[in-house]
Amino acid sequence: MDQAAIRATGLRKSFGDTHAVRGIDLDVPQGEVFGFLGPNGAGKSTVVKIILGLVQASAGEVTVLGHPAGSLAARRQIGFLPETFRFHQWMHASEFLDFHGRLAGLDRDTRRKRVDEMLELVGLAHRRRDRLSTFSKGMHQRIGLAQALLAEPPLVVLDEPTSALDPIGRRDVRDIIRNLRAAGITVFLNSHLLSEVEQVCDQVAIINRGRIVAAGDLRELLAAREVELRLGEGAEAALRASGLQPVSEQPADGRYVLTAAGDEEIARITAHLAGAGVSIYEVQVRSNSLEDLFVRLADATDQ
Amino acid sequence: MNLWVIAEHTLREAVRRRVVLAATVVIGGFLALYGVGVWFGYRDISTDPDLTMSMQRVIVGFMLQGGMWSLNFVASLLAIFLAVGSISGEIDQGTMHAVAARPVCRAQIVLGKFLGNLMLLTVFIGVSTAIMIAVVSIITGQYAERAWTAPFAMLFAAAILLAVTIAGSTRLGSLANGVVVFTLYAVALVGGVIEQIGNFLDNPVTFDIGIATSVLLPTRALWDLAGAQLAQESGAASGMTGGPFSSLNPPSGWMLLVAGVYLLLALAYAIRGFQRRDI
Ligand SMILES: Nc1ncnc2c1ncn2[C@@H]1O[C@H](COP(=O)(O)OP(=O)(O)OP(=O)(O)O)[C@@H](O)[C@H]1O
Ligand SMILES: [Mg+2]
Repeated sequence: MDQAAIRATGLRKSFGDTHAVRGIDLDVPQGEVFGFLGPNGAGKSTVVKIILGLVQASAGEVTVLGHPAGSLAARRQIGFLPETFRFHQWMHASEFLDFHGRLAGLDRDTRRKRVDEMLELVGLAHRRRDRLSTFSKGMHQRIGLAQALLAEPPLVVLDEPTSALDPIGRRDVRDIIRNLRAAGITVFLNSHLLSEVEQVCDQVAIINRGRIVAAGDLRELLAAREVELRLGEGAEAALRASGLQPVSEQPADGRYVLTAAGDEEIARITAHLAGAGVSIYEVQVRSNSLEDLFVRLADATDQ
Repeated sequence: MNLWVIAEHTLREAVRRRVVLAATVVIGGFLALYGVGVWFGYRDISTDPDLTMSMQRVIVGFMLQGGMWSLNFVASLLAIFLAVGSISGEIDQGTMHAVAARPVCRAQIVLGKFLGNLMLLTVFIGVSTAIMIAVVSIITGQYAERAWTAPFAMLFAAAILLAVTIAGSTRLGSLANGVVVFTLYAVALVGGVIEQIGNFLDNPVTFDIGIATSVLLPTRALWDLAGAQLAQESGAASGMTGGPFSSLNPPSGWMLLVAGVYLLLALAYAIRGFQRRDI
């Protein structure tokens, strides 16, 4: 299990003058649910399409479970739900899944079994004989998810899998993703629905304007605090001496903003300042929700 | 294996989206009208005391030739319409994403679509020409053995049009592609007439322009092969078989070779175009 599910190094993609991806390194470990977040146009779908070989990278390397991205061997490992989830409207639900089962190389018996299971899973068993043209938007997304999971791939790539779903559908998808993880399957989840990501992801990377602006364990990222301090004389020297680097400062007012990995570190910082004889007039701790983090990082890198 | 899955999918799509039904109705209607026309036409010429037997043969031959030419035209249009959005249309609609992400190479997708549509055209061309030959021979009692070249020439031309149209659709949207391929087809068609005029005026430049259009798109030249056979069938002197339905100069055998190479190049170009395209 030392091999990464997805590994990208120095990934770049330009469409003419549009630099959609500008140097991305990614390491998605096997068996985890990996959230890939970012605002509209950040480059999420482009990265996903490169992983699947739908789009050719301008530079850089991507491997999927050790195989070069886009190769047949790599594509055999992946189940994919595209963000557009548009499928051939003239097909029946079960016929559509059977077609994808054939493309994935499943034999007839396996297909029959898996098609039924998947229709059951996404709650469309009663519509199996209906044409996709009679499906609602949410049903299209559900059948798309069924298609992605059909061949029991070790890696599932979902590009905004709940964008068209009602709250019950979203909860169902969360449960499905948790079950996938329990079965040891890696899930790469593109989303900007932060609550969804907070609930299911182990690791996240936040991308903005084609660059990764934060990455790591979700709980560690959320544990990070921002501390605003109003301090007395000697504050600057005491901070420097302890190697603390303020993210912003207004020394004239004695205001400094620091980041801390968690509550313990805040306690250590204040103890250190008090020990150095610096008066502490005010301490404001701002905890990060994923939304704060997202908005702050997006704003900061938009400058 | 996956090539066959895509081909079958293409065939199924044509049936389900009522392409097959529409084409059957149109071609069936044409054949019915044609049959009625031949019946009345033959009733007139067979009772005309001024026409010799051989003149009758020539007129029947003309009727068959015109009918075959019309079927060829319909088959060509059908080939263009079937393939006009085969790649770009699916990319624009988003239906290509899930398919191309599967372990199936792009070459298999291109060739599968080509094969699926070609099977459909084979059935259409085979059935419609067989009905036409049968109708003419039943009504007139004149069995045109050489007319059987026509369906093969038509199928070859349709295959070339399919390949060219698919190649175009890897690079152009449906509308632009349709305009380009149909214009090419029309140019090749008119080129044949220019070739005849060049020959008639004994002007090598005009003649060569005509030849050049056959190399641009050899569909017309392929038809000329069948046209020449049909003309022989009617026993007409070659001087009487000008016009858009046939050719004064039946193309030489190596035209077939050129057309074969053309077909392979068009397919290769289609595959490469799709392989390079971002979806
Ligand atoms: N085929 C294309 N041609 C030109 N530009 C493109 C193409 N595909 C994407 N882009 C551009 O690349 C950038 C990234 O697009 P991408 O679809 O990857 O964003 P995203 O993060 O998925 O956004 P969203 O959240 O809206 O889905 C955008 O600026 C977009 O305009
Ligand atoms: Mg996207």
